[in-house]
Amino acid sequence: MSNPDPKPDPEPQKTFNTNDIDEEGDEGEDENENDLKDDEDQDDDVFGEPNRPKPKTREAQYRLDKLKMDSLLQRMQSGPVSVRVHDVIIKGNTKTKDYIIEAETEELKSVGSMQELLKASQLVNLRLQALEVFDSVKITLDSGPPELPGTANVIIEVVETASPLSGQIGAYTKAEARSSTVEGSLKYKNLLGHGDLWDGSLAYGYDHSAELSTGVYLPRLKGLVTPVTARAYLMSQDWLKFSSYKERSLGLSLGLFSSTYHDVAYNLAWRTLTDPSQMSSRSVRRQLGHNLLSSLKYTFKFDRRNSSMRPTRGYAFVSTTQVGGIAPDSRSLRFLRQEFDLRFAVPLGFYGAALNFGISGGVVFPWGNGFLNKPSSLPERFFLGGNISPVCALGGPTALWGFKTRGMGPTEPKRQVNDENADPSGVDFLGGDLAVTALADLSFDIPFRWFREKGIHAHVFACAGNVAKLTENEYRNFSVQKFVESQRSSVGVGLVVPTSLFRMELNYCYILKKFDHDRAKTGVWLTFTGAS
Amino acid sequence: MEQVVAEEELTLVTRKPYFDLPTACPLCLPVFIYLKLAHFPFRLDFNSIFPDSDQIPYVESGAYVAHNNENGGVIECLKQDGIVDLDSEFQSVPDWISTKAMISSWLADAIMYELWVGSDGRSACKIYYSDLPWPIGKVLFLKQVYIVKQRLGITKDNAKQREDEIYKRAKIAYGALSTRLGEQNFLFDDRPSSLDAAFLGHALVTLHALPETSVLRSKLLEHDNIVRCAEKLQMELIESGSSSSGPQFRSVPSSSAPRKGASNWSSKPRSKPKREKTEEEKIFKRRAKYFLAAQLVAVLLFLSVMGGNDSAGLELDDDVMLMLMRALLLIETISLLPTDLGPHY
Repeated sequence: MSNPDPKPDPEPQKTFNTNDIDEEGDEGEDENENDLKDDEDQDDDVFGEPNRPKPKTREAQYRLDKLKMDSLLQRMQSGPVSVRVHDVIIKGNTKTKDYIIEAETEELKSVGSMQELLKASQLVNLRLQALEVFDSVKITLDSGPPELPGTANVIIEVVETASPLSGQIGAYTKAEARSSTVEGSLKYKNLLGHGDLWDGSLAYGYDHSAELSTGVYLPRLKGLVTPVTARAYLMSQDWLKFSSYKERSLGLSLGLFSSTYHDVAYNLAWRTLTDPSQMSSRSVRRQLGHNLLSSLKYTFKFDRRNSSMRPTRGYAFVSTTQVGGIAPDSRSLRFLRQEFDLRFAVPLGFYGAALNFGISGGVVFPWGNGFLNKPSSLPERFFLGGNISPVCALGGPTALWGFKTRGMGPTEPKRQVNDENADPSGVDFLGGDLAVTALADLSFDIPFRWFREKGIHAHVFACAGNVAKLTENEYRNFSVQKFVESQRSSVGVGLVVPTSLFRMELNYCYILKKFDHDRAKTGVWLTFTGAS
Repeated sequence: MEQVVAEEELTLVTRKPYFDLPTACPLCLPVFIYLKLAHFPFRLDFNSIFPDSDQIPYVESGAYVAHNNENGGVIECLKQDGIVDLDSEFQSVPDWISTKAMISSWLADAIMYELWVGSDGRSACKIYYSDLPWPIGKVLFLKQVYIVKQRLGITKDNAKQREDEIYKRAKIAYGALSTRLGEQNFLFDDRPSSLDAAFLGHALVTLHALPETSVLRSKLLEHDNIVRCAEKLQMELIESGSSSSGPQFRSVPSSSAPRKGASNWSSKPRSKPKREKTEEEKIFKRRAKYFLAAQLVAVLLFLSVMGGNDSAGLELDDDVMLMLMRALLLIETISLLPTDLGPHY
C-alpha cells in the first residue's frame, strides 16, 4: 500500500550504497515516482516530478535529495512500500549471453515492496559475482515508465572480467577425494560467453596421489536447473608401500545435480592396477589389471556446525551412496558402497571449550552373478589411518589418530624373495568391506592471549575403529561381538593450529589397542587437514 | 623353495581357456604342458583382466611366486628353484641350444605376428580381451598391435617383406622340428622336455586358435607328425584335466577330429565320461531290444496257450496261470540282465 507523504522533503535524494546498489539521482529521476503518481493532489512530493523546476545550486539539490531519501527510509521503516519491477535492464555484457544474467534475476520479478526489492537486489548481486566472470556488478533502481505507476526498473551494469586467465593454489578436501589435497590451478573464464569456467589443475594429495585434470563449469546450461560440471582427469595413486599396487585412472566425472544438501555425480573411468615391484600378496595379485568404472554417486550433506575447522556448536550428517556398474556392459565393475558420518559439537561454556563426538561407518559389496563369492574391488574398500584429523575429515570412516596410512585391518603376506633389501614387515594391507570409527574430542582455548588471537587451541581426544572383510563368504564368520572386541583405539592430547589453507595438529598419541601388523605408534604426530 | 612348494599346492595363473585349450595364450600354454609332462600336481587359475601384463603366466605357492618376466620365464624359474626340471639331461645335447633358439625366436615371432597382424585379430581379441569391456579391449588391442609391429620391425615399407621372412623362417623351423621329431612323441630321446612343452604349446595354439585361413596354420598342417603329436598331447594331457593328481602319460591312438565343447580345465576329465556314455548307450539299446523281444515272446506264448483252448468256457487253472506269469517274469528278467556278465554265467 502506498502511503502518500504530505510533507515536503527539502533535502536532496540520497543513494543506496548497499553492495553497489546505487540510486541515480543526478538527472532528477525519482525512485518512488509511483508514490508521486498516486498523490496527484499533492504539490509537495518526496521525489521531484519531471515538471518541477530544478534547484539552482548543487548544494540545494543535495539537500533535496537527502530529504527525499530520509523520507523514503522513514516510510520503509514504518511499513512496506509497495513497488513492483517493470523491467530488468542489463548493460555492459558484450560477451556474456543475456540469459545467464537474466537467469540469476528471477527473484526480482516477484517482489512486491521496496524492502523485498532491496533484499532481492542484494541476492542477485551476490549471485552474479559468484559466477566469477565479472569484475564488478552494479545494480541501480530506477523509476518505471510514467504511465505505469508503482513500478521500478532495475538496471544491472556488469563489467566483464578484463583478465579471464587466473591462477590459484590451495588446500582442499573434496567430497569425492579420500584425503586433502594441495592443488594448483589455472582458470579461464567465460570462454564461450555462457558463464563457463574452464580450469586445468594439478593436485597432489596426502594419500600419495597425483592428479592432472581439466574441467568446465556451466552455471546455467539451457533448460537445466542446476549448474553442470564436467571434468576429465588422469589420476595416479601410489600404494606400493602399503598394499603393493599402483592405481591409475583416466576418467570423466559429471556433476549432474548440486544443491545445498544434495549432490549427484556420475563417474566413468578406466582404472588400472599394477604392481611394478612384483611383490604383492596373492589377494592383490588377483586384482591387478584393467577395470571400467561407471558409477553414480549421491551425497547428502547436512552441516549445521559453526565451523568445519574448529566446530564448537552444531551437528552434521553426511551420507554417500555409490552404485558401480551403471553401464550396459556387464563386464564393468559392479559394487555398492554406502558410508555415513554423524557429528555433534556441544559448547561447554568455558575457555571456548567444546566437545566433539562422532561416529562413521561404511560398507561395500559387489553385486551381480555370484557376488557372494567375489571379492570387493580393492580401491573401493575402506582403509583406516593417515595423517588427517578425524575431527575435520567429514565423509565416512577414514582416519584414526596414531595410525599410519592404511595402517590397520586385514593383511596378507607379500611375496617372499631372498633379498636382504626386502621389506621386513612383508605384509599388504587389504582394507575391509566394513569399517566403523568413533571419536571424541574436547577442544579448549589456551589461556594466553596470543594463542587465542591466532586461533591456536588445545584438544584432548580418543578414538576407536575397526575394519573387517565380508566378501568371499567371510560374512558367515562375522560377528558383532568379535568386531567390537578386535577394534583398535588410541587417546592423546595436542595443539591445533588453524590456518587459512588447512588445520595443523601437533599431537601426542598413545595407542591403547592394536594388533601385530598394525602400523601405529605411540608418540608425536603431525597432521594436516584441509577444510571439508 | 622345494619345502615351501611341498607344503602348499602350486597354482598356475594363466589367461583364460578358449578354443578347447586350457589356456589359449601361446605364452601360458607351454607352462601348463610342462607341468603336465612332469606330472607335477597343480591348480589352474585365471587372470582375464590384465592382457598386457608381462608377469603372466606365473606360478605361486604360498609366498613363493615365479613370474614370466623373471629369470628367463616361469619354466626357467621352476628349474632354477629346483621345483621341476625336465631338462637336466639334455643341456649337453648339441642340438639343444639351436632347437631352443629356433622355437623361442622364429616360432615365437611367427605366432605373435599371426595373432596380432597376420590374421584379422579376432582370435587375439577372444583370448585376451573377451572379459574386458569393449572400449578398454579395443584400445589395448590397438596398442598391442603397435607394440608387436615395433618388436618385429614392421613398417609400412617393409610389411610384405617382413611377413614373407617370418613365414619362411616358420616353415624352416617346422621342417627341422618335424625331422627331429620323426615318429617319436618327443623331440629328444623320446623323453619330455621344456622344448616339447614350448613347441607343442605353439602347435596347439596354431592349430586351434588361428583361423583356417591362417598361412602359419596351413604351413604347420603340412607336417603330419607334428599335428598327430599335438593332437595326442591334447587328448592325453590336456583333456584329462588339471587335477591335483596328474594322469599317467601313455600312448593312445590319436583322434583326427578336434573335440568341441566348453572347457572346464580345473576339475573334471573329459574323455572318460564320453566313453562311458557310449558304452552305456550300447548296453541300454541292447537291453531295450531284449526287453521288447521278451515281451513279444511272452505275448505270443500267452496267446498260443490261450488260443489252444475253447474261449467260451475254459478257465485256466490258477497254477497254470501262475506258471505262465513266472515264465514271463523270468524271460523279462533275463533280458534286463547286464549282457557283459553273460559270459560268466
